[in-house]
Amino acid sequence: MRVIIAEDSVLLREGIARLLTESGFNVVETVEDGETLIRRIADLAPDVAVIDIRMPPSHTDEGLRAAQHIRLHHADVGVLLLSQHAEVGIAMKLLEGGADGAGYLLKDRIADVEEFAAAVRRVGEGGSALDPAIVSQLVRRRRENDRLEILSTREREVLELIGEGLSNQAIAERLFVSQSAVEKHVSSIFDKLQIPGTKDTHRRVLAVLALLRH
Amino acid sequence: MAVRRATIYVAGLALLAGVTAAILTATRKHEELRAVGHPEAWAFVLLIGWSFIGSGIVAAARGLGPRFGALMIGAGFAWFAAALSASGEPVPFTIGMLLASLWIAIFVHALLAFPGGRLESHAARVVVGAYYFQAVVLQLGWLMFTNTTTLDGCHGCPMNLLLISDRPRLANAILFIEQPIVGVVALAGAVAILAHRWWAGTPPARRSLGPVLASGGACLIILALDILVEPLSYRGGQVIGWASVIAFSAVPFAFLLGLLRQRLDRSAVAQLVIELGDHAAQTNLQAALSRALRDPSVQIAYWLPDAGRYVDTEGRPVDPPAEHDAHRATTTVDHDGERVAILVHDPSLLEDPELVHGVCAAAGLALSNQRLQAQLRARLLELQQSRARIVEVGDAERRRLERDLHDGAQQRLVSLSLDLSSVGARVRDDPETAALVTAIRAELARSLEELRELAQGIHPAALTDHGLPVALETVATRCVIPCSLTVAIEGRLPVPVEVAIYYLVSEALANVAKHAGASRASISVARTNGSVRIEVTDDGVGGARVGTGSGLTGLADRIAALEGSLEVRSPLSGGTTVRAEIPCG
Repeated sequence: MRVIIAEDSVLLREGIARLLTESGFNVVETVEDGETLIRRIADLAPDVAVIDIRMPPSHTDEGLRAAQHIRLHHADVGVLLLSQHAEVGIAMKLLEGGADGAGYLLKDRIADVEEFAAAVRRVGEGGSALDPAIVSQLVRRRRENDRLEILSTREREVLELIGEGLSNQAIAERLFVSQSAVEKHVSSIFDKLQIPGTKDTHRRVLAVLALLRH
Repeated sequence: MAVRRATIYVAGLALLAGVTAAILTATRKHEELRAVGHPEAWAFVLLIGWSFIGSGIVAAARGLGPRFGALMIGAGFAWFAAALSASGEPVPFTIGMLLASLWIAIFVHALLAFPGGRLESHAARVVVGAYYFQAVVLQLGWLMFTNTTTLDGCHGCPMNLLLISDRPRLANAILFIEQPIVGVVALAGAVAILAHRWWAGTPPARRSLGPVLASGGACLIILALDILVEPLSYRGGQVIGWASVIAFSAVPFAFLLGLLRQRLDRSAVAQLVIELGDHAAQTNLQAALSRALRDPSVQIAYWLPDAGRYVDTEGRPVDPPAEHDAHRATTTVDHDGERVAILVHDPSLLEDPELVHGVCAAAGLALSNQRLQAQLRARLLELQQSRARIVEVGDAERRRLERDLHDGAQQRLVSLSLDLSSVGARVRDDPETAALVTAIRAELARSLEELRELAQGIHPAALTDHGLPVALETVATRCVIPCSLTVAIEGRLPVPVEVAIYYLVSEALANVAKHAGASRASISVARTNGSVRIEVTDDGVGGARVGTGSGLTGLADRIAALEGSLEVRSPLSGGTTVRAEIPCG
């Protein structure tokens, strides 16, 4: 899988590149700012871009704007935003047009190499990945006329892990239950939230959006 | 005294010249070339001359325009001099013929130079020069080649002493240049200049210019008609000639009307004294002075000697106009020998220094009192600004700290945990070391977590980086009860305003969570004209107030520093509304 990395800190840029290379990715390019990123994406057509949200010149939201641009003009390139802060508002902006091929993680997660690599791969394949810190805020968020109210406690837990982007097997491992039990919960969640039955990846993405918008 | 003596001499001379001119006109024997020269018109001869000289004397004696006054007096005497042509004696007759139209040149000069007495524009100098050329040079040329004893329409005229040779065709050629060409073209120029002055004039200037320019302009137009019609029809020429007589006798009266208007303005000073005496403290001084000076553009700038600058009534700094500003003039107001303020006003008021000084003297004490208020307001304003600066500097410092943490410690720790995970991969075979590495990684993760919270507490990075909607989304999401959020703001607000709104909403929601016992809350932030309105409401028990120890007290200070207002409405019957309004350009 072809990856491009945009990160202005040399330490992290090289660290992430090394880590992803070791995990079997093909790191085609590393850049330091959003503008170069957008230019190189057009030339290199990678599968996924790993983007730091704060980059030169203003060190504010360059990464987010570059990600939005890529999602609009290069829909087949997945974008994974990295940030020091977990902001629900940023997740909503990033996923405005749909949750497929998009992810938003705290930078801390890089250290968990396997999960990070899995998240990059998932986003590159058109899936989604939201940071647990965001997902837990969203699940805990209280709403009047809460659509999630109809879910059982266990189903909420499962939805949370779907939001993070985990597969059924990974969810089963995390919750110490059988995979068939997870599958049962997942289909119950899809039914209750009235998520139409198409491809499984797509339904999972729609579940993430339901979580965001509830 | 010199002025008064000069006035008496001029008046005496005018009396003499007028009577002479009237007698010569009334007793004339020969035919007259002009309309106002027939024996029965002696009273008009007297009236026009005296009214010119009289109004000139008044203008000069009142100090309104000594140059203008002199020109009017000159025009009056030139008018009487022209009446010498009624004499049957060759010497006075020749002088009268030579000076026949000099008065028109002087009159045009006075009109275009009103009220200062100086010709301000190049065009005006050209026009007036053309008139003098016509009145002196061309008239002399015509006389040198005209035998008045045989001239058509001058039956019984005495001998013209300037005659060199009798050449009627040459004389007619000169007359042709003199009248239609120079006369009409220069007249059109003069009318255009007057029209432009009226058009470009400020209201106070128009007020004093009005009557003079209107009647003067009318005279010029009638003169032009006279020149055009007379060669075609003798009767028509006579009619227009009489019309011009009436118009010319009106000009000095129009000028006197202008003076009278200024005298009426003077009574405004008395009105001002009464107004200030009764309700000095409540009076809007600027409006009162505008009324008294009949200049709506009057501005007061109070002088603050300590600060060495001027401020307006509200204490805001103002810059006095530049010394050579053509559109604004200033007058300094002193009280007890000390500069109190300057009045910034229309330059036309400088032409009536008596009125301005009268008004300044009347308002001196009131201005001195109101200066103290302006001074106090200026200090308050400074305090306000310094408070806002302190808050701003504090915020900037916190933002810098947050950024340093982000670029420094946080990046390093993330990078460190990355390295540590490669170490972990290498020591997989050594369970003891692997366990140690895992423990260190967990510890590092917690440190990062704590560092993130610390950074967030120092300064909300999302606010600076992504704006209010994103930052408030997180605040609302974390609220323990259902909380709706509406942010109706296009683009970004000034940084201090955004920060204040962020802290206000965070604090209000924290209070809702702690005390309100509410089941729902709502946040709304909306921009109205010139300010932002923030409202946080809940349906809790009510009874909250901004008091000591409440986090809202510090916020009230922060919002006050931005000249905003904070209001907490929390009746015991239930529900709390925290409402703030912050101006933002």
